[in-house]
This record gives sequence, structure tokens and C-alpha cells, in this order.
Amino acid sequence: MAAKYISREKLPEWLKALAAERRVLVPVEEGGSVVFRAYDPARAPVFGSDATAPPKGAVFPASQELFSYACGKEGEDANPTLKLEAHTEATPTVVFGSKPCGARGFLIFDRVYMGKKYPDPYYIAAREATVFVTMACDRVENTCFCHWVGSGPADAAGSDLLLTPVDGGYLVEAVSDKGAPFLDSPVLADGAGKTAEAEAVKAKAREALGEAPDIADAPKALLGLFDDLEFWRDQSDKCVSCGACTYLCPTCYCFSITDEGAGLAGKRVRSWDACMHFQFTLEASGHNPRPTKAHRLKNRVGHKFSYYPTLHDGLIACCGCGRCVKSCPVSVDIREIVQNAVAKAKA
Amino acid sequence: MPVLTGKELRIVGFLCNWCSYGGADTAGVGRFNQPTDLRIIRVPCSGRIDPLFIAKTLIGGADGVLVSGCHPRDCHYAEGNFYARRRLEVLKRFLPILGIDPGRFDYTWVSASEGQRWQKVVTVFTEQIHALGPAPRFDAVAPELLAKIAGAIGQGGNRVAA
Amino acid sequence: MSRLEELKTRIREALPGLECVIGWQQGYDALHNTPLFMRSDADVDKLTWGVLNVHNPAVYLPTMAGKKVGVVVKGCDSRSVVELLQEKLIDRDNVVIFAAGCDGVVDLTKVKAKLAAAGVSAGNAEKVATDGKTVSVTAGGQTVAMPLAEVCADKCLRCQFPNAVLADVFVGDPAPQPTPNPTGNADLDALDAMSVDDRMAFWRYHMDRCIRCYACRNACPMCVCRDHCIAQSREPHWLSQEDSVTEKLMFQVVHAMHLAGRCTECGECQRACPMDIPVLALKKHLNRTIHDLFNYQAGVDVAAIPPLLQFKLEEDNIKERGW
Repeated sequence: MAAKYISREKLPEWLKALAAERRVLVPVEEGGSVVFRAYDPARAPVFGSDATAPPKGAVFPASQELFSYACGKEGEDANPTLKLEAHTEATPTVVFGSKPCGARGFLIFDRVYMGKKYPDPYYIAAREATVFVTMACDRVENTCFCHWVGSGPADAAGSDLLLTPVDGGYLVEAVSDKGAPFLDSPVLADGAGKTAEAEAVKAKAREALGEAPDIADAPKALLGLFDDLEFWRDQSDKCVSCGACTYLCPTCYCFSITDEGAGLAGKRVRSWDACMHFQFTLEASGHNPRPTKAHRLKNRVGHKFSYYPTLHDGLIACCGCGRCVKSCPVSVDIREIVQNAVAKAKA
Repeated sequence: MPVLTGKELRIVGFLCNWCSYGGADTAGVGRFNQPTDLRIIRVPCSGRIDPLFIAKTLIGGADGVLVSGCHPRDCHYAEGNFYARRRLEVLKRFLPILGIDPGRFDYTWVSASEGQRWQKVVTVFTEQIHALGPAPRFDAVAPELLAKIAGAIGQGGNRVAA
Repeated sequence: MSRLEELKTRIREALPGLECVIGWQQGYDALHNTPLFMRSDADVDKLTWGVLNVHNPAVYLPTMAGKKVGVVVKGCDSRSVVELLQEKLIDRDNVVIFAAGCDGVVDLTKVKAKLAAAGVSAGNAEKVATDGKTVSVTAGGQTVAMPLAEVCADKCLRCQFPNAVLADVFVGDPAPQPTPNPTGNADLDALDAMSVDDRMAFWRYHMDRCIRCYACRNACPMCVCRDHCIAQSREPHWLSQEDSVTEKLMFQVVHAMHLAGRCTECGECQRACPMDIPVLALKKHLNRTIHDLFNYQAGVDVAAIPPLLQFKLEEDNIKERGW
């Protein structure tokens, strides 16, 4: 399909047009952090740097009502009544200006929530109602490692449209069937003359990432170290067991279900859970199969680089965005742990 | 719908079992007129009151919280109210920085025989809460006010408006 | 011998009798240091001392109860160790405190803002150099020099204890007492100047982006309940799993109230926050109240009893309301 072009000046016009028909989430600055919020023409979106928090919540909210319930009784002799209401329908949404890693995360979700075995109606509805207009990276940071996990600064996997920053504006390409109709917008100009420049931008960013180390042995290496608690103690010594890495991860999909009610009414809520927390595996008996942070960090790294890829055709459950490294209060570096595991297995 | 809907505000009282709850009972037995906004929660001792009870009540939407225990030196458990006094005073001074009017919380001491004092405390406190009106809520801050604060904080990582 | 080399020597000497010694080393890039657990001489070689040692290693001590460990501290970190000792949460016989004079540490949020203002991304940091007065960060091939006073942590601007209040091994000359700089209190001053309604809007604005990761809690050396925090308990049910500002703010109140009279203002809660929420202001405010009411400061005297664990029959500064 022919590529299009939009100048920086015209971008608000396109965003306004998109926002007229659906919810449009863009990265904006809030108190020094960059977060995805509903588009507001008064707030300039921040496209330059990767958002502090990825757009995970657009499809998989931090907390989501699965259904509401209300019990009642009309009169003394009547039978008690129970009313249940579930809403799976999703708001049509465009996530505009996420980096490729933010959209790629949903590939990992898809295999879990859209599989044949346990299709999740809430996720499926939201996923299908959401369009990702992704911004290719023209620069990389020290924490970026998307090239380690089969992705890259212009990775279109999981996205519907791909924007590449070029001089004065952006080249707009449709990378899915869902994205194609958006190219018809009258705000977009022909982009044929800009494709070469866009390719150069993509190539430059890819080059800036350098060579990725060989982590093909990681699944086996991590599994082999499963019972080596000393190794995991050394890796997790400095971890403070918070959920920053997990909640900011575009690929972490674990949840908890709780009933939040008062009196005779309430709702069943699904909310993000973090495997770094003690409560994640705490059993009703009081037994906890992952009692220490060493057990828990082992699970986090092992799941992403070993157990998940083993189950899902080698797909690594990490998009290499580096948020877990950058946002960790004590700079735990997952890259280092994977490399240490690979090296230890070789030795 | 109760007849007082819209007229009454939601005031929660945490009262110690030995003095203030008895004081409120005395006021009732003595048929002293009192405003009806207060919902009383009886606790064993003012020392049992975690300041977080009060914070949670206010953040949860109560318009006012009143705590009452035995007079100092008169605690059923000898010293519970001495600890309480320190905690409650710290909380009272903490509330305004959160954005909660300190007038929405007060603590005092009423003994089991002080029915009239109880009547006065309830009346004065209820009037005070009515003067403040329904409590504003964290989850319902006016968009204009929010925009004003966001504008003052500005961009570039300033944590606090300068 | 430099301060750092002497520190390393003393740690190497002590290491055979210790489970480990906790300090800092360079992290994933030049701008980020990371906590270091020294168990061998090779580990000790990695130790660093300087403006990038932003973390408070005292946070790890309560989790290592029963083991004899060493900890390297800045002045502020030593107060956390003292407070832990005050509360008998760690055993004096099981901790060896290594210290040196501290010239201040950076606030990475301020550094990032300075770099951004110069058109450079902190994400590309290549080199950091400092001479005690200036921090020079090279990123993306460009070097930006910034006065330490402008990018140091707020706590450093008001530092009372550049040298550890308690140490078993103190190396080098003590650092000079810095002159208090009022800008170190700018966050609280700004909140003080607001109306009560504006403050509510302020917290509503900031808490909205909280992701409930509990980094503020887990990085706090005084938050010793750890895995048993009431924030994650279902019974009692203090907080729900709903994604609302009230739940998020309520947790900050829980954290602050549980720190009343215990907080040493190390600032880890705010530094750890991945969303840069100014949660320290709440604790600063509380500490001011504690100081006004009880003339008390946490973590300076091992023998002192925290003010909320004691009382006076007649309180000096509490004026009760007459009805």
C-alpha cells in the first residue's frame, strides 16, 4: 500500500479527526513522567522519548470490572434476588505514538488471552477495538534491547500503522488490514518521496543498537539453573521486591481477581498482579512456593526467557523496551541476569 | 428515602466504651436534644483508634470525624488515651497537607457522667461540619481546579509548583 | 590512600567474619549506580563512593536478620540504621557499619531535567565526572556540566549529618557541615502556600499516575512489615484493588502515618517512585509536626524512644480544644 506523509503542523488536525470518533490515547507529560492519556488539544503529546508507562492499560486496564452484583429481597416473604451484570464491550480506541515495543507487548498477551483454550472475552473485545498507531524510534537509549528479542526500533509487529519521523513530519505506513483504512484520511499527503528517508532513519536507529548477544541458549540455561538458589540469590540480592518492573512491562499479563463490595452489592474486579510480590503465590494454607525474592525474580526472568518461549514457538515474552531496567529503584538489569545465566550454563 | 436526606451530613464518631460511649448514653437517657448526623462506632479505648481509621473515613467520603475518649488520667486502661492524644494530634496536623480541612476532624474527652458535655460537643462539632458543608472528594476534583494545578506544576519534571 | 581505597581495605579485612557487606557499584550505565553485595575480594573491587550512591543500603538490613552483615553508609543512611536499632529491628552485634564523609548525592530526576534542558537525553549517558562541586554528564557525545548544588537531592541541601551518626569504621576526614540551603524545602514550602482545596487537587493530579507498584514502600528502610503490609491484606481490607485515586492516596497516608516519628527523611520513597510522584513531601510535613510537638528527630540516638511510643501526662505542645 502506498505510504503517506503528514507534517508536524498537521498532526493535531489528524489527532482531532481521530478523536472525534473514538478514544485516542497519546503520550503526555504528567509531573515529569510520560503517560498515555486521552487526547486533549491543549496538551501537546510527547513523541520524542518512550513513555514512562507503556499503553498496556488501553487493552488491559490496571483494574477492570468483570461483573457487578447486587443481592436484594423485596418484602418479608419474597425470595432473595440476585442481579448480575457483565460488560465485555470495549471502547473503540486508537493508541497513538507508542513506540514499537509498547505495541509488540500485546503479541505476548494474544497467545494467552486469544488462544483456543481459554479465550478471554474482555481482552478480545478490547484488543479488537484498539488500533495502534506506532512511532518508529529514531534514537535509542542505554536501556533499549529490543534487538535481543527479535524486535527492533521499527518493528511493526502488533501495530496497525507505523509512523517514522522524517524531516518536517512523519511517514505513515499501514502495517495491518486494520490500519489500512486510516490511510484514507484527507489530512494525509502522499508519502512516496519520503520512503527512502524513512528507511534511512530506521536503519540508523537499528545500527545504533549494535550487535545483540547470542541468547539462544537462554531457555535451556535458565531451566538448568532452576534449583541453583545461590545463583538466584546473587542475582536478586539488591531487588526490593516491588512491582515497578512488572506493572511497567508491556508484556506482563498476570492478574488477580478480587470481589470489591459493600453491603449487598459490589463487583468482581480483575487487576494487575506482580510476581515480585509475596502474595502472588501465597496459598490459602499459608504455604508459599516462592517465599523469597530469589524465587520470585527467578520466575520473572525464567518466564520471560525460558518457560513462555518454550510453550510459544520460541517467542520471548519480553519486548526489550528496558522499562524494568530504567524504572527499577535499584537498577536490576534483566539483560545482565539472562547473560549471567547463559554464561553460567556454558561454564 | 429518609426525611433528612440532603439535610444531614455524614459524621462518624469513634467513642471509647468506658467513658464517652457512656456519656452519649447519659445524654440520651437525660433526653438532651442532639443533632442526628453522628453515627457512632464504639471502640474499647481511644488508644484502640488507629489514626488510619479516621483518615480512611474522611478519604472515603465522610464529612466529619469525631473522636472521644476518657479524660486524661481517667483511662480505663490507665494510659490508652495518652498515646491516643499524641497520635490524634499528629493526624489533625497532617490532614490539611492532604487537602482535607482540619476542621473536619476533632478529638475530645467526655466521661460517662458528662451527658451535658456530650450534648455540647456533638452540637458544636455538627454545627462546625455544617458550616464546612459536604466534604469535597479526591475522586471528584473539579476539572478547572485540576487544570489550574497541572498548569502550575508545568512540564519538565518539576515535582511541585514553584 | 584515597577514601575509597581505605574503605575497600577495611571491608576486605572484615569480610571473612561477615555474610556480606552492602555498598554500591556502577550499574547499567555511567549515570546509574546500583547496590552491591560484597561477598568476595573481587566484589570489593567494584565498590564506588560518590555522588551516584543514591540508594539507602539500610533497607536490606531487616531482611538479613540473624546474619552478621556489613553496611556502607552515607550520613543519612546511618540514621536509618540507628532508627532500626532504636526499634530493635536489627541487632547491634550483627551489623558492622562502614562510613565515610559524604559530599552529597544527585537526584537523578534533577539531572535528567538539566540534560533535557540542554537537549540531551539521560538515556544516552556515557560518562559522569565530578569534582565535588560540579557534575559533568556526557551523553550522546555532548557534555553538560551542572553545579552539584542544583542537581543534588533535596535532603543534601538541608543535610545535618554529612558524617555517619553511628559507625564502626569511619575512613578519611569527616566532611564539612554544609550550610543549609532553603531550596531543599521547596516542595513543602509550595504545598504550605496552597489552599486546602488546591492541595486536594495537587494529590489528585499526582496520584492519578500511581501504578501501585509499592516501590515507595519497598525502598523504605523503615517499612519492615514487607510481605505482610496491610495494603495488600484482604482481611482486614484496608485497600481495594480498584484503580482509583482514593485507594492510591490512602496508601500514601498509610505509609506516612506508619512512619510518624520514625522517618529519617532519606527520601527513598520518592527516589524509588518510577512515576516521580512527590510522596516525600507528606513525610517531610509529618516530620515537621513531630519536631514541633515533641522536639524529636528520628534516627540520631540509639537510646531514644520514638515519640508515639511514649507520652507525657501533661503534653508541652498539645493544646486541646475547649468546647
